[in-house]
Amino acid sequence: MAAAPSRPFDYLESLPGTVFFKLYQQPSTALAIFRRMLPDLAKCFVMALLYLKDPIPAVDLEIWVKSESLKERDSALSILGRLHILSNTTTADNVRAYMVTNPFAASLRQALTGAEQTQSFGVLSRTSDEGSTSIGSLDEYARRQWEGVLGYMVGTSGLGIQRDANLSKGVKQLLQAGHLVEIRDRRVEITQDGFAFVLQDVGTQVWHILILYVESAEAIGMDSVEVLSFIFLLSSLELGKSYEKRHLTSNQLRTLTDLADFGIVYQSSPEAGQFYPTRLATTLTSDSSALSNPISGTLSGPGGGSNQPGSGFIIIETNYRLYAYTSSPLQISLIALFTTLKYRFPNLVTGKITRQSIRRAIEMGITADQIISYLATHAHPQMRKHNVSRSTSNQTGIPPSVLPPTVVDQIRLWQLERDRVKATAGFLFKDFVSLAEYEAPCRYAEEIGVLIWKSDRKRMFFVTRHEQVAAFLRNRK
Amino acid sequence: MPRAVRGVLIECDPSVKAIILKYDEERHDYIVEDLDDDRHLVIKESQLQNLKLRLGRELDEKVMQPEESESE
Amino acid sequence: MNAVDATEHYETSAHDPAPSLLTVILDTNPHAWALLEQTSRSPLPFSTALANILVFLNAHLACNYANEVAVVASHSHKAAWLYPTASPSARPDPDGDVSMTADGSINGQKDAGRQVNKYRPFRIVEEQVTSNVRQLMDLTSRTDMDNNSSTMMAGALTLALSHINRRTIAWADAHGGGDTSSVSRSGGPDTSTTSLLTRRSTTTAANDGTAEGLQSRILIISVSSATGSAHQYIPLMNGIFACQRLRIPIDVCKLSGDAVFLQQASDATKGIYMSLSEPRGLLQYLMMAFLPDQRSRKHLVLPTRVDVDFRAACFCHRRVVDVGFVCSICLSIFCEPPENGDCLTCGTHLDMGDYGAKPALVARKKKKKKVRANGTGASATPTPTPTPGP
Repeated sequence: MAAAPSRPFDYLESLPGTVFFKLYQQPSTALAIFRRMLPDLAKCFVMALLYLKDPIPAVDLEIWVKSESLKERDSALSILGRLHILSNTTTADNVRAYMVTNPFAASLRQALTGAEQTQSFGVLSRTSDEGSTSIGSLDEYARRQWEGVLGYMVGTSGLGIQRDANLSKGVKQLLQAGHLVEIRDRRVEITQDGFAFVLQDVGTQVWHILILYVESAEAIGMDSVEVLSFIFLLSSLELGKSYEKRHLTSNQLRTLTDLADFGIVYQSSPEAGQFYPTRLATTLTSDSSALSNPISGTLSGPGGGSNQPGSGFIIIETNYRLYAYTSSPLQISLIALFTTLKYRFPNLVTGKITRQSIRRAIEMGITADQIISYLATHAHPQMRKHNVSRSTSNQTGIPPSVLPPTVVDQIRLWQLERDRVKATAGFLFKDFVSLAEYEAPCRYAEEIGVLIWKSDRKRMFFVTRHEQVAAFLRNRK
Repeated sequence: MPRAVRGVLIECDPSVKAIILKYDEERHDYIVEDLDDDRHLVIKESQLQNLKLRLGRELDEKVMQPEESESE
Repeated sequence: MNAVDATEHYETSAHDPAPSLLTVILDTNPHAWALLEQTSRSPLPFSTALANILVFLNAHLACNYANEVAVVASHSHKAAWLYPTASPSARPDPDGDVSMTADGSINGQKDAGRQVNKYRPFRIVEEQVTSNVRQLMDLTSRTDMDNNSSTMMAGALTLALSHINRRTIAWADAHGGGDTSSVSRSGGPDTSTTSLLTRRSTTTAANDGTAEGLQSRILIISVSSATGSAHQYIPLMNGIFACQRLRIPIDVCKLSGDAVFLQQASDATKGIYMSLSEPRGLLQYLMMAFLPDQRSRKHLVLPTRVDVDFRAACFCHRRVVDVGFVCSICLSIFCEPPENGDCLTCGTHLDMGDYGAKPALVARKKKKKKVRANGTGASATPTPTPTPGP
């Protein structure tokens, strides 16, 4: 899911440098950010530089990358710069050079080699109460809590779903604060953002919630950096193991209780001496949405019974008919968001994807990509099998798609019919005196991957972010 | 002296651009910079939602839609 | 008319990068390490090297949540798993295979009190590797050492390959990739070799370039001298050809000397071959040259080797030969014409012509490369790779 890393990334990027300095003190945070936020090439750079004593001359690093891959190189360097991981310095003989910044480098080295003092990766509980909480029951707990949250949001849209009332007040307030739901006339109504939210894959949803939580932490008197590092700590724990609570600070304990409401961690009671991370926590820093399948599978599967990886329940035919083998009210109401439902049986609903149904969804703020990724995530194993066998036999260049291509195309076309303009927020650079003055920053913007549009004739170009280009212009003066 | 102006880059067909230009003529409150080719222009960030709504309404009225029933 | 058409919106359907499996084959021959420590200008004790390798393994694991590692020791008399290892409570699954789990509880690590705080997957790898190395060294008797100054590279390579194959299948099954039935169907007429390994290769080849499938690679850290490996020429080359077909790059990090067959291994599989001039800088070499996975390597300028030693070892005496005799039927290589002209591998009687008869005119008795056609069957059986017997 391409959108998955972007939200935490955008949030992190907006933080000031001092916050990064504090964040990177923790090895678990450095490791999580390294793993989750960086593109492959950036990871190679960091690792190559990590154990070097001296800064590496910029030229040396730059010739390491093939000339065809300049774009990848510059976007990797740009991300590293924005996350305050790589800094520009000069070597002893005044050559431009790169080095990994210090709290980050030290913490990452510590993460790789281990350290005596910190509790950055959690402390395993020594009281062996093995067997009391199995992985299966943790998954079940996480599924129940998370489905409860989604059910609370969707179930209120007039589709008549009974919902569990075990959501805490904090959860509801957080959903409201994040504008995912609104209270109107004492009734809870889902917003456009909320619709978009419920169709995302679980990993993205969890991040969305966590960032809302971090943002609201300041308001209730907690240090957002502390909360954020604690979340990264949770992501480095191991599923099925219990961890000591006595090393945690009071704020961390408070966070723990709040996250338990979402099913991200489990504790038998708030007074218990240990806690268990659930799969929602331990897969936070994985890129692979496939990994969260056991959860999303159980979240979606009929009654949450099957725990098979990749279990889906939706079949779509090329004639736009949709069959969903589910009895979960949550899933049925989600499907109803973009499908015209026709029949409902005890374990099956059928319907049709039509132009009207898609437009209705799009007017609610759901995008075609969200619908498609929802359908693809929950596609029935039979569809996967069918399409994989077909795609290996003919064209090899195109990655195999689980859904019928005509349906995917049509959903996108229906969206585009509405969407006649493509809007990109950003900055227009203009009033360049000469072509030479225009060309250099323009090329630089293209290399760091922020250029959207340019016109050589008018000597103008449009970029998504201006900070680096502006700095570039200043440096040239 | 180069300047950077904040705004939203709009990419669209010439027909839609013509409609946007027409809106702007009313009060000159949409466009930051007309980029002179027939597909691009920069508008004010605050007007984006408004513009989208207005365009949607206008296109719904003016563009013929094929009849389609929701039944099989 | 539509400036904003659907095509450019397709880019958003990005897929997750597939995790990669790194299999390290570590040459643990005590002779070779002792030699390296004594003779080299910059000595690298085994313990330091192992510590460096462990950091490197952690770095690989750090790159992606789903990345995996495996470590095989190529010891003086056997090849052994260092990680993952079969748990003592091994319950063979229906196939009779022993499940190899990465469970850290194997050695009963109950002294959690003084343990170093560390990301758990890292610690599990480290604990297992170090304890298994210790065990391996304890079990090595004097006689094992005396007999053999070489290393079981071929055996280790085979272990690594079977592990990779197993993980690839498991990964594909778990992620809705190609199931085996569709694979064998797509195999088509090219099923002359029926081993599972080669059948898998058709899928790996088809999926190459897309993000499908587990990305595997092998890193050989070698210290033993080249001469020892000639007697394993055939199994080693078979392993290399299997890697070539499966598109698994073999990287070679040579701490001392040069190894003929390992050069060929990395050359054939498009891996990296590096002979370290400063073994003490092992970690930096590993981090810079060997850490990038196949995806990143597309963007990087890799250390390559121009002068690859392509010599082969003969099938009869395991000598490394510059020029030899090749059976026209099975392409077996011999350093001298086999007795009676019968190929030692396939048994075909080769028409040697007048070879070996006392030459009347030729003054110098230099060995010549001879490929003699044997009747009609010669051109009818084209074999892409040598398929030697024993």
